[in-house]
Amino acid sequence: MGPDQRFLGVLDTSPFRIAIVYSIAFACGAAALLGAVDFAVSRVVDGSTDNLIEAEVQGLREQYLVLSRSDFIELIEQRSQDQDVRGAVYLMVDPQLRPVAGNVPAWPALDAAQGKWFLFKVSVPFGDETREHEMRARRFPLPGGYRMLVGHDVQERQDVKSLMMRGLIAAVVMTLLLGLSGGFWMGRRILAQAGAISAVATQIMRGDLSQRLPVRDADDEINTLAREINTMLGKIEQLTLGMRTVLDSAAHDLRTPLNRLQATAEGAMTQLTVGSPERRVLERVTTEVDRMRSTLDALLRIALAETGTVAREPVNLSELVASVVELYAPVSEERGIALESSVAAGAEVFGSRQLLAQALANLLDNAIKFTPDGGHIRVQLRGSGSAPEVIVEDDGPGIPADKREAVLGRRVRLDEARKFPGSGLGLSLVAAVTKLHGARLVLEDAGPGLRVSLKF
Amino acid sequence: MHILIVEDDEVARDYLAKALREAGHRVDVAGNGLEGLRLASSVAIDLAIVDRMLPKLDGLALVQSLRATGRKMPVLILSALGDVDDRITGLRAGGDDYLTKPYHMPELLARIDALARRGESASAEANTKLKLADLELDRMTRRVTRNAKKIELTAREFQLLEFLMRHSGQVVTRTMLLEGVWDYHFDPQTNVIDVHISRLRQAIDKDFDKPLLHTVRGAGYSLREDE
Repeated sequence: MGPDQRFLGVLDTSPFRIAIVYSIAFACGAAALLGAVDFAVSRVVDGSTDNLIEAEVQGLREQYLVLSRSDFIELIEQRSQDQDVRGAVYLMVDPQLRPVAGNVPAWPALDAAQGKWFLFKVSVPFGDETREHEMRARRFPLPGGYRMLVGHDVQERQDVKSLMMRGLIAAVVMTLLLGLSGGFWMGRRILAQAGAISAVATQIMRGDLSQRLPVRDADDEINTLAREINTMLGKIEQLTLGMRTVLDSAAHDLRTPLNRLQATAEGAMTQLTVGSPERRVLERVTTEVDRMRSTLDALLRIALAETGTVAREPVNLSELVASVVELYAPVSEERGIALESSVAAGAEVFGSRQLLAQALANLLDNAIKFTPDGGHIRVQLRGSGSAPEVIVEDDGPGIPADKREAVLGRRVRLDEARKFPGSGLGLSLVAAVTKLHGARLVLEDAGPGLRVSLKF
Repeated sequence: MHILIVEDDEVARDYLAKALREAGHRVDVAGNGLEGLRLASSVAIDLAIVDRMLPKLDGLALVQSLRATGRKMPVLILSALGDVDDRITGLRAGGDDYLTKPYHMPELLARIDALARRGESASAEANTKLKLADLELDRMTRRVTRNAKKIELTAREFQLLEFLMRHSGQVVTRTMLLEGVWDYHFDPQTNVIDVHISRLRQAIDKDFDKPLLHTVRGAGYSLREDE
């Protein structure tokens, strides 16, 4: 796996996907919360500012009615200077918009469309420099074409608001970043653990039952699951080893007396003259020992293949098929059988070379046995890489469709086959070896004849 | 040759000892692994036949200890287990050949002979040219001639002949050929090897007076100069 693929792999993990969903949800939540706070704060602060201004306007209007213009102007000037009303601004202008009184240097440029309430900026001294502050103000006309505005410095509120906005954006970005990187980290952890688990699983499937899944010192679901699977693997290993032990002792307990029988018969035979009736009896004994041995070999190999406790390695199947075909070519030629083969190069499977060779040999052996003299056998290896297919076709009698399943079982010999030599375990071994290699064995009608396909 | 048999099965051991003595060998026997190890370490043994499962000291452990103490004599392991992997474990432990029970005496004798003459075969292996009477095989040019006449062989026939020439004068069994030439460790039910041999015989013996490739009844084949 390249770094790009690994990166893309993390994006496909469930923790990362969950993290995306949660990050977006949390970001939306944060945004909504801050938005609501901002809205509420604005309403309260704006409302109180507006009430203040409104009250001031009301007061000034009343004063204007009772005071002379010059007194009113003085009042305005006074209020403008008043330190208590911090941030309050006043401006009174004549009909030509020239300032008459107040602490704002000029009437703000307003278009008619703007209502009574508006915002404008005023330069205010701030230490040694001046700053543009935003003012919220209300304008109202005074009799005689004069106009008046009363406002309040809302810069602070604006600052708070923009601070909140920035905070909001930062919060959303942080939530997304933290969520995604957290998700990425968890995804990588999961991916690493899943990768380790699948690597071990592959080894176990390849027959190494001593392997265990990696477990971290944690009680999360994956580790709990891994621990349980490990317990299960332990039991499977125990059972398999038990079967293997039974198999080994069965092999030993059957081969030892057979060997003794063979030794006794062979030893006695050397004392007898060739052709004597006693010697002929002993010859029959050794022939039977041979037959028992070949049946025993086949049964043990089938059982061994079924326990899966067979050492495995990469096997060049193309080379193996070609070599088995080559082994049988002279025999088939002697019988006048045309043995054709087309073998695709580069097919490799992971397995036992000896068992695969024997399975292929059994298939060819069968094909040659059942094909009439002058018949045809076709061996093909199709596809390449790790998923090849081996096909052996003959034009012998074939196997009736309803008996195909049965011949793969132990010791089923069709009546028609009894006249041929053999243990009757040939196809059973093929079936066991096929299963050991995770391949599929299909028997079909080759019309006429049998078509055996091994699909890896 | 001085041969040590380490085998706990009395019937098999006695017959084996008798057969080997009849074949002209000097034989020592041991009934368990420890005794076998003691004999192998104290007496000058040329070859050992060791059963794989032995009381007191396992056959594989025995071979391992022999090898660990620098004993290089050929060892044939006899086994009542005998499957592909057992064979590999046996050879890995230091065995030179592996035979599964029940075996035929001619098979065992042929293998012992091959093991004993392993030195010759090894030096033959180093030579690029193998020669037997007027038959010559050049491994570099992959050319085979008999009486200076070129003989055309397929790649497999060439390998088969090469194996036989490396073991010339010895009996070579069908199983030995299947193992040595094809690297297959199972019994094909059909007489596949015989047919290969008869083809090779056609190629190298047909047009010549003196046959070189002989059939040894009940055992196998032998490539040698005279009958």
